[in-house]
Amino acid sequence: MLKRIVMVTRSHPRVLLILLMLALALGPGIGRSALARQQDSPSGLNVEEAGLSGRVVDPLGEPVHDAEVTALANDDTEPIAHSASQFDGTFLINLPRAQYDSMVLHIERPHFQPTDLELDAAALGQLNECGSVQFSEISLERHITSGFWVATLSFALVLGLIALEKLHKTTAALLGAALVLGVSFVGGALDPSLFIFDFEIALEYVDFDVIFLVMGMMIVIAVIEETGIFQWMAYQAYRLSRGKLWLLVTILIVITAVASALLDNVTTMLLMAPITIQIALTLGLNPIALLMPEVLASNVGGISTLIGTPTNILIGSYAGLGFNDFLFNLTPGVVAALVVLTIYIVLRYRKQYAEAGGNLSDAMRERLKERGRITQPEKLRKAGIIFAFMLVLFITGDSFHLVPAVTAILGAVAMLLWVSPDIEEMMQVVDWTTLMFFIALFIAVGALQEVGLISYIAMGIGNLVGDNLLAATLILVWSAAVLSGLIDNIPFAATMLPVVGYLTRTIPGAESNVLWFALSIGAAMGGNSTLIGSSPNLVTAGIAERAGYRMTYIEFLKVGLPATIITVIVGTVWLLIRF
Amino acid sequence: MKKILCATRGGEASQKTQDAVIAMAKETGATILFLYVVDVEFLRLTARGVRPDVVSAEMEHMGEFLLALACERAAAQGVEAEACLRHGSLVEALESAAREEGADAIAFGRPAGPDSSFALADLEALAAQIEEDIGIESYIL
Repeated sequence: MLKRIVMVTRSHPRVLLILLMLALALGPGIGRSALARQQDSPSGLNVEEAGLSGRVVDPLGEPVHDAEVTALANDDTEPIAHSASQFDGTFLINLPRAQYDSMVLHIERPHFQPTDLELDAAALGQLNECGSVQFSEISLERHITSGFWVATLSFALVLGLIALEKLHKTTAALLGAALVLGVSFVGGALDPSLFIFDFEIALEYVDFDVIFLVMGMMIVIAVIEETGIFQWMAYQAYRLSRGKLWLLVTILIVITAVASALLDNVTTMLLMAPITIQIALTLGLNPIALLMPEVLASNVGGISTLIGTPTNILIGSYAGLGFNDFLFNLTPGVVAALVVLTIYIVLRYRKQYAEAGGNLSDAMRERLKERGRITQPEKLRKAGIIFAFMLVLFITGDSFHLVPAVTAILGAVAMLLWVSPDIEEMMQVVDWTTLMFFIALFIAVGALQEVGLISYIAMGIGNLVGDNLLAATLILVWSAAVLSGLIDNIPFAATMLPVVGYLTRTIPGAESNVLWFALSIGAAMGGNSTLIGSSPNLVTAGIAERAGYRMTYIEFLKVGLPATIITVIVGTVWLLIRF
Repeated sequence: MKKILCATRGGEASQKTQDAVIAMAKETGATILFLYVVDVEFLRLTARGVRPDVVSAEMEHMGEFLLALACERAAAQGVEAEACLRHGSLVEALESAAREEGADAIAFGRPAGPDSSFALADLEALAAQIEEDIGIESYIL
């Protein structure tokens, strides 16, 4: 049996990787559940033992795991018992049953001030009489170590390398993860203040819901994209508009926005852009005048679903928001933003649209028609049925606790079984580079959480806005919009998740999740302001350039920045109305 | 001169080059071989799951469309033109197309301005390199 497994994994290294990821995803979860069960039950105490229990939290109220908790009794310097806090911050120390004159609880963890708690007379009496004392939440104070600066500078380096395109973003994220882990292990051995976290804790920061959701959707999209559906839709827009450019732009905006919301905005633009260029040339129009509205719509449209943008996937998984939460709370705002965007685009390009006039031969028109057809109708039929079921599961899954990652995996497996059974081909379409980017990014951001930088940012914003939910919403939407135009919005959103989590817990009224939606709107719409603001912008510019039309940074800014301002205003107004 | 090889895209600058090479072909009685090079290097700009094979096929379709436009432009002026589509780097594609299709001249478009993909000096260096590699005369029009 072992030999067989070895043979399978040798011939299918990707299968091994998936099994490894499954084990990593399930392993900590199973372990955590068992520990949690142990902690939940006070009957975990042996009748011959006494016990101290409680929960350790950081200044944001987040549980602190792996804090070393020791009990010192009767002024003795030697601990009589010790334990460690679990993933939910709880701890339980079993003590020998005895009469104690004094008892001190000593709590220590890297990146926090060591804390001593002395049991008062009443608690001591309870311990001696009943055998157990439960502490309320114990909040540890942060402590800046050398590791803090290593983690902070490493992350700044990652952001800089990505923004300046000095390294591929996956390489940059891996460098960041390697730096914090390397310094923890090597530097930490020489100087304990350099320690950030160990490998097990680093892996706990990896959100496998996100990894599996992204991977499942990659397989589903890969099957759908080769059917010709995107090209067919673009051609139908051309056919239905009958030369009316305002109508063509409107239909293209709707198609791009819907496709981006349901599938993926990068794929949508990669497949829509080449045929859009051909349509524009057929109409005697500069293709940029059609590509710009499409790419702007792709960034806006993705906001309305959980799977529409990577930032929504991150937000949904961290905040526990489902498909319906995004759909019902954001779609009306997205539709309003798209209406305003369409008006802006038609006004902005009115001169080009008026001057357009194609005089292409019938042969060229026929060539365009040929390009705009469904190439694999049977595959599209099957993939469409599976995707429809996936949408039903995404929408209804919340009611029976079906997480989106499982729906995506179910859809991907159904595609493999019924539509594209060549596992090798399908494994090749999974972009492992992207999955590694997310894993490395989670570790790099986890290091920031571990050393406390995120806590400081959260408390800083918390102090700035106080209890004012309106101020917090406005600051989040607009800072996310501005920063997403300047730096990659995925690392930005990943960093902001714990911050928004803290603000949602502490600001009255924020339990409506408005701040999560503010982050979603700002991070996605902000990507429209600059050429480097989002991946669809960059790939569209790349395709346009291959057709001989340059989409320069300044040219993009001139159209994209006003579009960002007006759509973010509409999005903000919608949030204020909705919440 | 019998066959002029001209790498082309579809923008305004490319159309100017197409017009210039068409005029040159008309003057010398040569035919034109328009070349489009499929290059999906821009995919590295996204860290998202994409299928290079599907994107590459779409870029091929777009290239064929742009080449057909260029050929129609030449035909409208009474010049015979053929289309050729290759993958990979521009230099390699130019050299292999010139060798295999029997071109005896290569025409480049003069950079249109600061927004152009090439600086004039780079283009001159490229033309010199190709001349040296395969011994075919290059023109910057």
